Amino acid sequence: MSFELILGAWVAAGLTLFILTFLYQDNPLFKLAEHLYVGVSVGYAIVKTYDTVLVRLIYEPMLKPGFTQGEWAKGDWSLLIPLTIGALMLARYAPKTAWMSRIAFAFVVGVGSGLAIPRVVSSYILKQIEDTVRPLLMLGADGGVSFTASLANPASNLNSIVLLVGVVSVLFYFFFSVEHTGPGRVVARTGIVFLMISFGAAFGYTVMARMSLLIGRLTDLIEFAQPKYGGATWWLLALTIVTLIVFHLRRGRTEPRQ
Amino acid sequence: MTFAERMLRIDRRIIFLIIGVCTLVPLLFPMGLAIKTSPEVTSVYDYIEHMPEGSVFLLSLDFDPASKPELYPQAVALLHHAFNRNLRVIGMTLWLPGTGMANEVITHVAQERGKVNGKDYVFLGWSPGGGSVIINMGQSIGTAFPTDYYNQPTASLPVLAGIQSLRDVQYVVSLAAGTTGIETWYVFGKDKYKFELGGGCTGVIAPGLYPLLRSGQINGLIGGLRGAAEYEVLLGRKGRAVAGMDAQSVTHLVIIVLVILCNVFYFMLRRSRQGGGQALPSGS
Repeated sequence: MSFELILGAWVAAGLTLFILTFLYQDNPLFKLAEHLYVGVSVGYAIVKTYDTVLVRLIYEPMLKPGFTQGEWAKGDWSLLIPLTIGALMLARYAPKTAWMSRIAFAFVVGVGSGLAIPRVVSSYILKQIEDTVRPLLMLGADGGVSFTASLANPASNLNSIVLLVGVVSVLFYFFFSVEHTGPGRVVARTGIVFLMISFGAAFGYTVMARMSLLIGRLTDLIEFAQPKYGGATWWLLALTIVTLIVFHLRRGRTEPRQ
Repeated sequence: MTFAERMLRIDRRIIFLIIGVCTLVPLLFPMGLAIKTSPEVTSVYDYIEHMPEGSVFLLSLDFDPASKPELYPQAVALLHHAFNRNLRVIGMTLWLPGTGMANEVITHVAQERGKVNGKDYVFLGWSPGGGSVIINMGQSIGTAFPTDYYNQPTASLPVLAGIQSLRDVQYVVSLAAGTTGIETWYVFGKDKYKFELGGGCTGVIAPGLYPLLRSGQINGLIGGLRGAAEYEVLLGRKGRAVAGMDAQSVTHLVIIVLVILCNVFYFMLRRSRQGGGQALPSGS
């Protein structure tokens, strides 16, 4: 196994354990891991953005063909237009030229809205309405009417009724121009039931997701405890426990007595 | 202080310890609980299974290392399936922090399957813009990504021969931890360029994506670690997701028991307080 992999395992195991110590209480090991995470994330983002945007998408298409083949004409100089608009954003840092940044923001807002509004309306509103309005009864080829009552089949007529009741009652619950009394109260309460079921499902999925993250870290810790990684987890666990004890004792001595 | 009151004021670190132990033990001693596959995961599997050899499959790994435990096993399973079917695989990401990890998973699985970079698969890397990148790819993949992750010109790669834009891609799967992700691929991609779209996501965002699944805007959805485990079962290749399912089941059971116990103690306390005319403690 390569040195890089073993070093990576030690760093990953150590930082995982340091972060998990927060469950006991706030401590310097957690702070160290937290600051490292922030620093590395920002550093990685800066380097990748510089390499991808400035070098690969701007510098190389404009200038590299000229350097490598001696043909400046091959450079894609049209990139100067977005580059100039992007550079205008930086004008905000100088009070006298700050107004110029509005040109760039106007461009971003205008293009963004123009691209997004029709597509979002089509995808989220029209398509969803189309799916919500479903037949409550099926008309057969012989002219007879049928009704499917399977809850397991999302396309069944019974589920179409559930969907209709849910949509109408939840919409009514958020309709505040009419007082929720009498029959309106029943509809609004039904809407609350649908909302609660929805929140419950979302919470259940969230619990599952968080447990998955814990499982992922524990799986890695178990793997890194193997001899091929030098028993990284065991050594770092011992170091973490010793550090926490020392920190606890030192804090006990330095804190003033109540 | 009554027993119920003591339980409601229990040190939360004890709860953490119980959850930790209940997660760790099944990982060390697997029980092999049954995993049933759901229609939404089967849809993604079936679609890839029926794609002709040489079809173009685009996997967008729209997540960062924070979602690795859930989405990395999904990526591994999907890539194994795509390489099994000898599809041409295009990998990319719309999430900057996930670039290195996305490259690692594609390279790792490809090497395991004996696939060649540039010939059987390509990793395009990351490009800024989110939805704009998808629109750009709809016009020309070569313009959106002039070079791949390793700085090879995309125009010269055999794997991309004959592929001009997203219209030439048969199936796109976005593995998303939020936005930019599946919804972005639908709004700016599928709706306009008419490729089939599937999704894989973290458990947190899965409930919000079911309306897209029901309306047919996406043809399937792999939700969280559970979805990854189902895909591994369908593929007949058990990996990290299946290994984690025992722990997931046990911790869910423990959480359900804790919720029930908490409610029982709460009502016990309320009854005793109502009897004595006292108010409930704050936070209980």
